[in-house]
Amino acid sequence: MNVFFNPMRFLLDVFLLLTFSFFLFPSLLPADGIDSQLDDANRAYTDGSYDKSAELLQQIIDARGYSAPLCFDLANAEEKAGHPGPAILNYERARYLAPADPGIDHNLQLARKQAGLEPNSYRWWEIVLLSIDWTVWLGIMAGLLLLIFLAVIGTAWSPALAAASKIPSRLLKTIFRAIFFAGIPLCLLMGYIELATIGFNHRIEGVIVAPKAAILRLSPFDSADSIGTIPEGELVTVEDRHNDYLRIEARDHHFGWIQEKDIAPVIAGSFDVKPSN
Amino acid sequence: MKMPLRLTSASPVLAFLFALTTTSCYAAATLTQQINPKEVNVGDPVMVTLTIQGGSIGNIQLPQVDGLEVEGTNFQIQSEDINGSISTSVSVNVSLIPTRPGNFTIPAFDIHTPEGDVLHVKAMKFHVLGNANVPSPNAVAPAVPSPVPSPAPSANPSFNPNGPVVMPPNNGVPAPAAPDNANSTGAAGPGISAPRDKDGALAKVFIIITPQTTEAYVGQSIPMQIDFFIRMDVAAQQDSLPTIKGSDFLMNDYTHRGHESEVSLEGQEYERETWLTAISAPKSGDFPLSMERDTYWNKSIAGPDLNSFFGGFFNRHADLAHESISSNQLTMHVHALPTEGQPAHFTGAIGQFNVAGDAQPVSVAVGEPVALRFTVSGNGNFDYVRCPALPDDPAWKTYVPSSRTDYMDESHTRAIKTFEQAVIPKNNGNVPLPAASFSYFDPDAKHYVTVPIALPAITVTGSAAPIAPASPGGETDSTMASAGPKAEFLPNRLEIGSLQTSLAPVYRRPWFWAVQGGLVLLPLLAALFLFLRSRFTTPDDSRGERARRRRSLQQEEDAMAESVRRGDAVAFFVAARHAVQLQLGPRWNLTPEALTLAEIRGRDPELAGMLEPLFTQADEVIYSGRAGASLDLADWERRVRTELLQPQPA
Repeated sequence: MNVFFNPMRFLLDVFLLLTFSFFLFPSLLPADGIDSQLDDANRAYTDGSYDKSAELLQQIIDARGYSAPLCFDLANAEEKAGHPGPAILNYERARYLAPADPGIDHNLQLARKQAGLEPNSYRWWEIVLLSIDWTVWLGIMAGLLLLIFLAVIGTAWSPALAAASKIPSRLLKTIFRAIFFAGIPLCLLMGYIELATIGFNHRIEGVIVAPKAAILRLSPFDSADSIGTIPEGELVTVEDRHNDYLRIEARDHHFGWIQEKDIAPVIAGSFDVKPSN
Repeated sequence: MKMPLRLTSASPVLAFLFALTTTSCYAAATLTQQINPKEVNVGDPVMVTLTIQGGSIGNIQLPQVDGLEVEGTNFQIQSEDINGSISTSVSVNVSLIPTRPGNFTIPAFDIHTPEGDVLHVKAMKFHVLGNANVPSPNAVAPAVPSPVPSPAPSANPSFNPNGPVVMPPNNGVPAPAAPDNANSTGAAGPGISAPRDKDGALAKVFIIITPQTTEAYVGQSIPMQIDFFIRMDVAAQQDSLPTIKGSDFLMNDYTHRGHESEVSLEGQEYERETWLTAISAPKSGDFPLSMERDTYWNKSIAGPDLNSFFGGFFNRHADLAHESISSNQLTMHVHALPTEGQPAHFTGAIGQFNVAGDAQPVSVAVGEPVALRFTVSGNGNFDYVRCPALPDDPAWKTYVPSSRTDYMDESHTRAIKTFEQAVIPKNNGNVPLPAASFSYFDPDAKHYVTVPIALPAITVTGSAAPIAPASPGGETDSTMASAGPKAEFLPNRLEIGSLQTSLAPVYRRPWFWAVQGGLVLLPLLAALFLFLRSRFTTPDDSRGERARRRRSLQQEEDAMAESVRRGDAVAFFVAARHAVQLQLGPRWNLTPEALTLAEIRGRDPELAGMLEPLFTQADEVIYSGRAGASLDLADWERRVRTELLQPQPA
């Protein structure tokens, strides 16, 4: 029997297997797990058990992860339960995951209004910047850089490539040069947009979740003077940390220190990283 | 009765502030003005606030008015980032003290900004009551920052019929004074004896603390002056601040550097460093109060050889001593606040406060917010000053207030705390606002004070919005009514959506940058490879030379084929020999014409053996001009092509 190993065929088989597994994976999850939990949460919500609904939705998020609809539903439940801080926090999280969703923004602004806070809808260009899918972005960048790499290498061996591919050598060189001279500026432009966008998004934001209001202090100590209060639900930017205190900038550009327990990060875990000033 | 206006000799207010930013340089400046409160008692301050947005202030001179004295001026600069451009506003707060009752009008005047704008300040009116002894609920505190704490309470307070008298008489500790000037001789203060050395002379280093009083209530902020003295001849650089001993008192953070001055005490020159702060006691009882500071001083200056060329300057060094220096010790008598007569809305505020309130606008539609603004000013523990309480009123929905504290002194016991609170009317008509009030404990009068705050009635137009269903289940939410018919929360989403385990953006993960860095490196490495390749290629083997040689070789091969077709042996052997020379020339870096059989034999005898028949036959044919009949040109062409013109190893 004539058996020989074809590496290309093997790689193709592995690729197809992985692709198939990828699409198959969600169906391998427990079929009645997440859906039944969501049903229970929605049932509790419609029964008026908003605290129970919020608890169930939080359990789903803790176990499975975040999604815009889950955060939105959790925010609705918190709002109905009379917890404006956690409600606005989860609307902010939902908006972070789906910046262009008008429904999320609608409920967020309504919740802010009911909490006596000013509106904070995104402008169009903020929506554009926040909607960038960084994985896709990375794929485009990778493709461009690989093309440039191949163009550079291909230029070196263009005679051999021309002979092998029966494409005229001159045409091949023109193609490689076009890729090189178009790819470099495109890469630079994309890199600039990337850095600018990341700089824009790099703020570490939190929402005041202390009941009613949080005390803003002059320095990060319990005995420090209070310089004001920030109402529950307000979105602030975290600038620095000292032990259990976070230095924040409020929307009116006042700075002060606030206890960590009074504030929750929009991006969970972002307070663990020391912000760079 | 309107009083005639007359200019007095009150000092003009001068301010030189140049708060210019990128945007404010080009935008026209705008002005907002405010006077607060509109009614005060004689001696109570009135605050005039002028805010210039998008411009700078050169010189502001408030018109002088008879009966008004300028107590001081306070400036605030605020920058705001609006869509990436910085906008700066400068506020000037001028504190005026009326010296007589009556109606006052500050005339309109113009402000000329350095940018050339002219801003028109409208006339401002207010009324001054003649009853200076009754605390005015609408008075605000002076806005002038001062390092001098308020005077000590009276040592023998009179009986106050409005509340329980609980504080024992003051023990006579003098009030802290402002830092004296350089010629002061009583720096240690009357009644306080500075420590002395064994020889009876004043100690080289000592600390004197002077609280405003030694009788206090739990939570009360007591201004305190701290004086650190060090004799000139032993003065050294200090690297720490005085700290309070023990845990019986809480002290405000130092907000300023110590005020430095020089004083003469008993004929010795001392450096004095003075701080003004405030302390408070969290529990009642008698507690010792003392402070300490890690202190360095020069014991001696070693090694000065005054006879040397530089007078011993370069080999002098100080012999430093290091010790924790304690201050004088006082006993603080801290009393619990009386429970009798404590108002329901008392939040722990202790001091003397003035409260003012305002509501804007006074005419709204149902569901539209009315902004309440309360200003609490005076002396006291502003940490415990909370927003004046609004009783529950079914006609109004109230929101959580925001607050802001502007301290007016170094010890943070004088301040203006401003609260802003939104309320929304639920009904139409002429709706009075809930009766707000503010309660505090007056430690001088020793009783609780509740100040009612008069707020205007609000005219509410329109009708109440229908209550909309708020959820898929049909529940209603009373809070929705105020937001209008369109203001409904959108119902839950029924799908799960795409889940992600972390909200952290991918660009905060190291691999995101590692992948991009690696990809950027690839073209760079390729470019480096090309560069090195071209650098280490010999000129003769350069691309152009190789191409030219290839073309020549091709031409000779074509000539060989053509001569075989025509049967021209001479042309064939000329072309064949030249083709072989072209093929072998670069191997030894020789021109093709210089490559003879003898030359080849000298370099590669084996190759010469292979080439000898071709070269011999070529010589014969070329020199004779004809070929023999047995000469098979096609066979020669095949042999030349397959055996001799194959690429040779380098």
